[in-house]
Amino acid sequence: MDENTKSDYAKQMLTYIMKHCLWQFHSRTWDRERQNREILTKTTELLCGLEETAVPEDRLDRCYWVDAVLLARNYRRLFPWLGELDNLEITELMQLVRERLDFQTITGSLNVELTDHQY
Amino acid sequence: MPYHEFEVSKCIPERKKHAVVKGPGETLTEALPAGYLNTIPGSVSERGCAYCGAKHVIGQPMKDVIHLSHGPVGCTYDTWQTKRYLSDNDNFQLKYTFASDMKEKHVVFGAEKMLKQNILEAFKAFPDIKRMSIYQTCASALIGDDINAVAQEVMEEMPEVDIFVCNSPGFRGPSQSGGHHTICIAWMKDKVGTVEPEITSDYVINYVGEYNIQGDQEVMQDFFKRMGIQILSTFTGNGSYDDLRGMHRAHLNVLECARSSEYLCNELRVKYGIPRLDIDGFGFGPLSDSLRKVGLFFGIEERAEEIIAEETARWKPELDWYRERLMGKKVCLWPGGSKLWHWAKVIQEEMGVKVVSVYTKFGHQGDMEKGIARADEDTLAIDDPNELETLEAMYKLKPDVIFTGKRPGEYAKKIRVPYLNAHGYHNGPYKGYEGWVRFARDIYNAIYSPVHQLALVDISKDEIATDKSFTTRRMLSDARLPEGVRNAPGLRQYTGKFDVMPGLRNKTKADYPYMQDKPTKLADAA
Repeated sequence: MDENTKSDYAKQMLTYIMKHCLWQFHSRTWDRERQNREILTKTTELLCGLEETAVPEDRLDRCYWVDAVLLARNYRRLFPWLGELDNLEITELMQLVRERLDFQTITGSLNVELTDHQY
Repeated sequence: MPYHEFEVSKCIPERKKHAVVKGPGETLTEALPAGYLNTIPGSVSERGCAYCGAKHVIGQPMKDVIHLSHGPVGCTYDTWQTKRYLSDNDNFQLKYTFASDMKEKHVVFGAEKMLKQNILEAFKAFPDIKRMSIYQTCASALIGDDINAVAQEVMEEMPEVDIFVCNSPGFRGPSQSGGHHTICIAWMKDKVGTVEPEITSDYVINYVGEYNIQGDQEVMQDFFKRMGIQILSTFTGNGSYDDLRGMHRAHLNVLECARSSEYLCNELRVKYGIPRLDIDGFGFGPLSDSLRKVGLFFGIEERAEEIIAEETARWKPELDWYRERLMGKKVCLWPGGSKLWHWAKVIQEEMGVKVVSVYTKFGHQGDMEKGIARADEDTLAIDDPNELETLEAMYKLKPDVIFTGKRPGEYAKKIRVPYLNAHGYHNGPYKGYEGWVRFARDIYNAIYSPVHQLALVDISKDEIATDKSFTTRRMLSDARLPEGVRNAPGLRQYTGKFDVMPGLRNKTKADYPYMQDKPTKLADAA
């Protein structure tokens, strides 16, 4: 996968998140960091072949997993090119998605409430 | 920053930061208006106050409660339930509103004695109601009445009653959103954990940020019960005071309106480790994914799939009938807060309309992030607009319909733009599959109303057709459709009932075979 293709794929995947998901827009920086990290890590694992039957025991973990399962399913449905990538390529692609998502929702965000110390 | 400056607001230069148009290739890091700031003097805002946000929006949908405002009678009158927050106890909270009726003499001499007398009178007048919420107003806050002390005194004298005090006077925050915040934190601090609820299922949720507008909560409750899920409490539409005191025992918080009540979910997560799952109850696709997610969480996804298949088969042909006729119609999506992002994408995807502008009266930048992300490029996004700005926007964008509140809705009609009530709805509920079709029907009826078409004619200069005696919506909507679409087999107009609520409320235990009488697993294992 060349860099242009990787960038284009990441753009499509990020656009899906921004248009259809809500989990990336929690109200504080620490929540967004945790949400993005947990959900995209689990999504990557699922896209790399982890079975959906591996349900996390801890209920907080399971909540991230739920969003990850739906995201992975929708990615597979919408982006058939995912089936042509190996696990290393998927991992690198998802890392790029994560970097861009973190930038849009956290580090580059113009939302001044993200740094409030209380809810 | 791609700010949009309104001609009418050039005399208020601070307003420029409150509107943006996201251009091609731009992201939220380049296009986000200011938000949740004090309204700029001179800008005639459409916002409500923090007292209104606490009482009218959040507190008062609780159904088995005397809601008493400690302040002038006007404060309570203006927040009397006009927003169609139904309840299944004969709408007690809609029928009655209570005020201590503060006057000038109370401002001078204090109003605590009078408040206590009012509390006792209210409980005496409604002996079946044992719960009360008291809302501070600007007047009672400024004179320093200690409402909590009065409430405590009454609870000591009447141990059978429980009183919640919400100290959110109108000036506590830039808008009603300040009141949402205050009441959420106060409820969490004062009431959550003070009742141990009865757990009857292995699958237990709090349904948070849902206000039962025209029955929305009862529609969603039906889905959850069909999945065998116990709704421990709903915050707060059709919600019960004591159920909400037991929120700490839920396994999952299912959050609908994050704007008004994410604070509560965040605190429940921190204090009790209850996860927060944000969902969309509007639209076939988002609702289906939401039910799937809740099902997945509990390991009962197949039950969600049963509902999705049944409801989609029943209602999709009707949604598509309207979609064909709404295709390309321009919409201004101008609600209060959360519908900005709940609807921005899905009405375009599922109804075929084009959102040309989004605004929020009291939303924060986080709401605009969601709304702008979900809307298309070139959508005009406005924070806390004033009347002149919205008029200018309508003249410029020429929407076919706007979704907003009553106040801007009325002046939209004056310039011949039809509106739908995005807050209280026209013919809701709008949640659920059938509800989404009802929303599509309302949009169709608004856009193609023959009366509205007549309003577009200027008899001083337009030619008046004399060869037509009448028109119908169908004649107007179908004129541009190809024959194959006009009579497409399988598509049909809405065939549901005028009022869907009796059908939901008359269901019996037999309609919910998955519901349990008691849990079979340990609560913490769920």
